[in-house]
Amino acid sequence: MRTAYRVLAYVIAAVVAIQAAAIGYGVFAQLNWIDKGGTLDKATLEGSWPGSGALIFHALEGLAVFIVALALLIVSFFAKIDKGVRWAVIVLAATFVQIALGTLSHLVTASGAVHGAFALILFGLAVTAAMRVHKPSSVAEATPAQVA
Amino acid sequence: MAGRLSTRVRLIVALAATLVILAPIAWLWQSSLVGNSYSVMGMGYLDYGGGPSGSHDHGSQARSVNDLVVDPARKADVRVDLVAAQQGLVIGSKSVPGYTLNGTSPGPTITVREGQLVEVHLRNASVKAGITLHWHGYDVPAAMDGVAGVTQDEVAVGGEFTYRFVADQVGTYWYHSHQVSNEQVIGGLFGTLVVLPKAGRGDAVDVVATAHTYAGMKTINGAASDVKVPAKPGEQVRVRVINTDNGPIETWADTPFRVLTIDGYPINAPTEVTDRSVTVTAGGRADLGITMPSDGKPVRVQVSKGTAVVLGTGDPAPPPQPTAALDLLTYGGPTALPFDPAQANRHFDYSIGHRPGFVRGAPGLWWSINGHLYPHVPMYVVREGDIVIMHIDNHSGELHPMHLHGHHAVVLARNGVPATGSPWWIDSLNVLDGETYDIAFVANNPGIWLDHCHHLKHAAQGMVAHLMYEGVDTPYRIGGAAGNRPD
Repeated sequence: MRTAYRVLAYVIAAVVAIQAAAIGYGVFAQLNWIDKGGTLDKATLEGSWPGSGALIFHALEGLAVFIVALALLIVSFFAKIDKGVRWAVIVLAATFVQIALGTLSHLVTASGAVHGAFALILFGLAVTAAMRVHKPSSVAEATPAQVA
Repeated sequence: MAGRLSTRVRLIVALAATLVILAPIAWLWQSSLVGNSYSVMGMGYLDYGGGPSGSHDHGSQARSVNDLVVDPARKADVRVDLVAAQQGLVIGSKSVPGYTLNGTSPGPTITVREGQLVEVHLRNASVKAGITLHWHGYDVPAAMDGVAGVTQDEVAVGGEFTYRFVADQVGTYWYHSHQVSNEQVIGGLFGTLVVLPKAGRGDAVDVVATAHTYAGMKTINGAASDVKVPAKPGEQVRVRVINTDNGPIETWADTPFRVLTIDGYPINAPTEVTDRSVTVTAGGRADLGITMPSDGKPVRVQVSKGTAVVLGTGDPAPPPQPTAALDLLTYGGPTALPFDPAQANRHFDYSIGHRPGFVRGAPGLWWSINGHLYPHVPMYVVREGDIVIMHIDNHSGELHPMHLHGHHAVVLARNGVPATGSPWWIDSLNVLDGETYDIAFVANNPGIWLDHCHHLKHAAQGMVAHLMYEGVDTPYRIGGAAGNRPD
């Protein structure tokens, strides 16, 4: 379970990095296409154009992060990692906030800026959670083995 | 011993916590499943809109949607054969996968006269998922509405279906597949329907401009280039703009123009538009009227930024896009409606949201209708002759082009502000995020009708409700052996 915890936490960090790569690819593919004469308006936006697949991937993978974060929380109940549950809750909450910021950015553009920056925080939280696995359990520290 | 007990307690707490998280998720997931085959008649919950609910009968006494046809003995005035195929398309210099009708996309423009009985014979040559034809904006008898799993079974490869309806609405309309429509319409399975007045064309030049985006390439009438149309000084030109995409387009011109119709219905007393674009929502249509300049200058009508109709001789530069769109709420002159919305006896809400949950077992952020996710959406129940007011409220974060089948509604108000211009009749309405609309219509076309978002990917994601007439039933089912997938 400790390994599962560590792997899931690193998976979250990895998917966040892939998310960043996807949105970067999508934006630049779109700009290059417009440079070559492509026209982007709402009608095109709702279809497909170079880079649209990356943007769709970005949106769908957001849900994947949430599902993995939920799995991390469940695993944390069994993993006996010092403050493991706490960090899993923090990662899950941060994932929720990140999705909310992304969704809200359709209404409030500035939210999109926070969404971009918050990805770094989520990445850091996931890595920190993964690194908890290497720390000795506080339970073990509190109850040292008896020596005859 | 204490350590073992502690371990057990810890395990029990962990299992309980897991259950607390997973149980509601499992329940939500299970309740979102629709099965391999289901009827829309059993979907969601009945909403009577404050009207009577006494004789809700969908049993043995109910009329089948199959019976709602034009007189079978009446002979057709116009016959059209359409053969659908799944094949590659060449758009500009690119080849893209797609669909054709009679070898082209868009399919042939069907032009008929008011009052004629139109008979369209459809054959599926090679569209693997099957097809249907829906007459978008045309208030056909219910059996002819062309929605797979609601008014017919999809037409499988080698299969045939004949659509018959009387062309009693003059104007600009279109037809498209309503089987896996989110793929087939985008892929080109559509065409234009033009119904001329009995007296014939009233304009010297009549141009169809069907806008579609194929794999990111903007086109008019299937060509990724401007459409050039001869027109002489002083001539009256009608440009029929049809938006077959999933999102709205803007259209404008370098010469003053009038908006003659919206969604096929005339604008009363249209005035000249000079510094505004016209928003044509997904699935919507707008006829623009232009008088060619007497000095012989050509006219450029932009159909979105990428494509244009050029009238006359020459190659005028694209005019800049106006910074604002024409407000149809105040455009044209008021005139009496054919019914009194104040006498409405059904009042429905169509409130569009966006929330997490499950649709057909898949987790995600989904569109909700009145707070519910598909299939737990309202079934709006009416009785023939009812006057209906529908309040549309979009707080979903995105715009939605709302399309009601089988009826035309008039816009009464937007954001609570009453309409003061010409009666603004719609079958496809651009509802921006944060907007509300009040629309009214007469329930004068018995059947079972979709009332859905015409961003067809949104429809496939469950943004579909239905308008149902009392005493009408359907034998068709979504899914099942027929493989009906209307969205």
